[in-house]
Amino acid sequence: MTLATVRDQVVVTGVGAVCGDCDPTPFVKARKLRKFMGRQDDLAVVAAGRALQSASLTMSLGERCGLYLAVGYIPFEGADIDQLLTASLDGDAFSMTRFAANAFGAINPLLTFRVLPNMPAFHVSLNFDVQGPYTVSYPGAGQVYAVLEEGRAALASSMVDVALVGAVADQQNALVEHHFSRLTPPIESARLVNASAFLVIERTSDARARDAVSRAQLADCRVEYTPVDPFDPAKPYECLARGGVCVRDGRELGPASLPFAIAGTERARLTHELRTRDGFTASSAWELA
Amino acid sequence: MTHRVVVTGMGVIAPIGRSVEEFRDALFAGRSGIGPITVFNPAALPTRIAAEVKWDGEVMRDRKVTFAHAAADQAMADATRNGTHPTGAGGLSLGLGLELFSMDDLAAKRRGAPMPDGARERLLYLQTPSDLCVPLLARRFELREPPATHVSACAAGTDAIGSAFRMIASGRRRWMMAGGADSMINPLGVAGFCSIGATSTANEDPPRASRPFDRKRSGFVLGEGAGVLILERLDDARERGAEMYAEISGYGASFDAHGISEPHPEGRGAVQAMSRALAEAKVDPAEIDCINAHGTATPKNDPVETLAIKRLLGPRAHMVPVCATKSMIGHLIAAAGAVETIAAIVGMRASIAHPTINLDHPDPACDLDYVPHRARPHAQRAVLSNSFAFGGQNASIVLKRVDA
Repeated sequence: MTLATVRDQVVVTGVGAVCGDCDPTPFVKARKLRKFMGRQDDLAVVAAGRALQSASLTMSLGERCGLYLAVGYIPFEGADIDQLLTASLDGDAFSMTRFAANAFGAINPLLTFRVLPNMPAFHVSLNFDVQGPYTVSYPGAGQVYAVLEEGRAALASSMVDVALVGAVADQQNALVEHHFSRLTPPIESARLVNASAFLVIERTSDARARDAVSRAQLADCRVEYTPVDPFDPAKPYECLARGGVCVRDGRELGPASLPFAIAGTERARLTHELRTRDGFTASSAWELA
Repeated sequence: MTHRVVVTGMGVIAPIGRSVEEFRDALFAGRSGIGPITVFNPAALPTRIAAEVKWDGEVMRDRKVTFAHAAADQAMADATRNGTHPTGAGGLSLGLGLELFSMDDLAAKRRGAPMPDGARERLLYLQTPSDLCVPLLARRFELREPPATHVSACAAGTDAIGSAFRMIASGRRRWMMAGGADSMINPLGVAGFCSIGATSTANEDPPRASRPFDRKRSGFVLGEGAGVLILERLDDARERGAEMYAEISGYGASFDAHGISEPHPEGRGAVQAMSRALAEAKVDPAEIDCINAHGTATPKNDPVETLAIKRLLGPRAHMVPVCATKSMIGHLIAAAGAVETIAAIVGMRASIAHPTINLDHPDPACDLDYVPHRARPHAQRAVLSNSFAFGGQNASIVLKRVDA
């Protein structure tokens, strides 16, 4: 499938990215909900906030803004897992009786909210008053191309005036590290980073009308998919994503790879490519202002 | 939108039926699928009931993968039973729940057990990737368009169908397999919902525990299952002589941008989602004949959904049947929207509004016609189906009779 072979009718007017620890406080409108935010929520709110600032869109966005978000694998901290397990053991085996009697009471109810993959979308919508349509996709690097397609289609059909397209991946935690360690070949935990990045995309005519600065434009985009057997040990794990100055050092950004590369480059033209073990082959060329 | 989109295949694995026919008959009969949890020992968890799928065959540890396969097999067999296949390359749009996390494996890991050797065993060890059924289904049915996995929680199934509808309607895809699959009936899943006080603890009388719109409702009952639809262009379906069960004519999604677990008090996001779906379908609110409600039986959802429907339909709201499938099958989370879309389609085709069971004590804040207790003959040409998620994601789709 070729999404765009000619210059697109939409333009990127804002980019924002964050990697590693971050403090979302400057962007948090609803302080009472701060306690519900996990690391993936922090990352998404900061990156979205920076992208909107970069686009000079600081007012409430309302119904004409859509959110198109790819979320990485569900995070779970080792300490939380250990606490649950320790309280559930009978000898060295898991006991449902002890889990119900001991571990259940020890579960921090906030934990449920902090790990859910739709919560970054909630916190972004709440703090920037996004009331438009959405797509929340999961979990591989290829899915960012799926949400990019949705955002661009929403702009093309005039369903929205602003598409906030991005990704978030909280990967430095026990559960995600476990996942990547079992692949063939394994991805070392040191290569996994926590990252989020967003693009603000508008129709070119709208951006011009409000004198917005064009930061990037999609020149070409190709996405192909070949169904693969996930259990096939012979299937090489090519890479999560490559392209752009920020991902050349071997770090893995998961679905955040594409918007992160765009946010981080200073080149005039960027080509982002990925080939994933779940069957995506995608590339996009971006002309940067 | 360039193309009209129709449903030409359906498959369902639900607590009250493992085929569309079984599901439909149980739905119209008002049969509950809720009972004590048997797939694991819930011990002394506050909630010890659920709507389990009665599954005789082999089942993967992550049950939703098995359910997704079975529902997809049914849907594709249904869509191709006249010997023809949907035209062109197909895609997959699936709403999926959370990953299964095995406490037994975790205990084994602490004991020093090594990671299993085989690629399959390793991928299922400790945690089963939630998206595992995507490549499995794509391979099985040679779906070569890039797939989308939707994780908008309780709205995911409806979002998956709505997204697939848009892809076909806009000409970006020729046909799609779309739906949702979920099973959170496992220790962490049930405990997680218990810890936030979302689930009913009426363990003593399971079939009566799910009580949408009833004054004595006390939370939802967790269910499991899968619903899968085959969507294609109406012109393609007509040309190959496929049976067309319904037309999907509009989809609306919105954010509440309000509360993490409670809906906007005026139903703002719900109204926006329903209004957008109607606008896209070019259907006037006065034309809606029936609504398949989100209807979770939580204290906060039901009155707000009622208010939102009243805001959408005005005084006519009291004349439109509002059915809560969850009264019988519980809350299938990411699969809910897909299975409830099928419920809406079979009701529309049979001209029957299925009942909301256990609605014994009317709630003044929930004062619409919820079709209490018994199914009722009711002709329907256009139907709305709603799904509203924790986190304020709202999704609605409009279904029409194909001859409408």
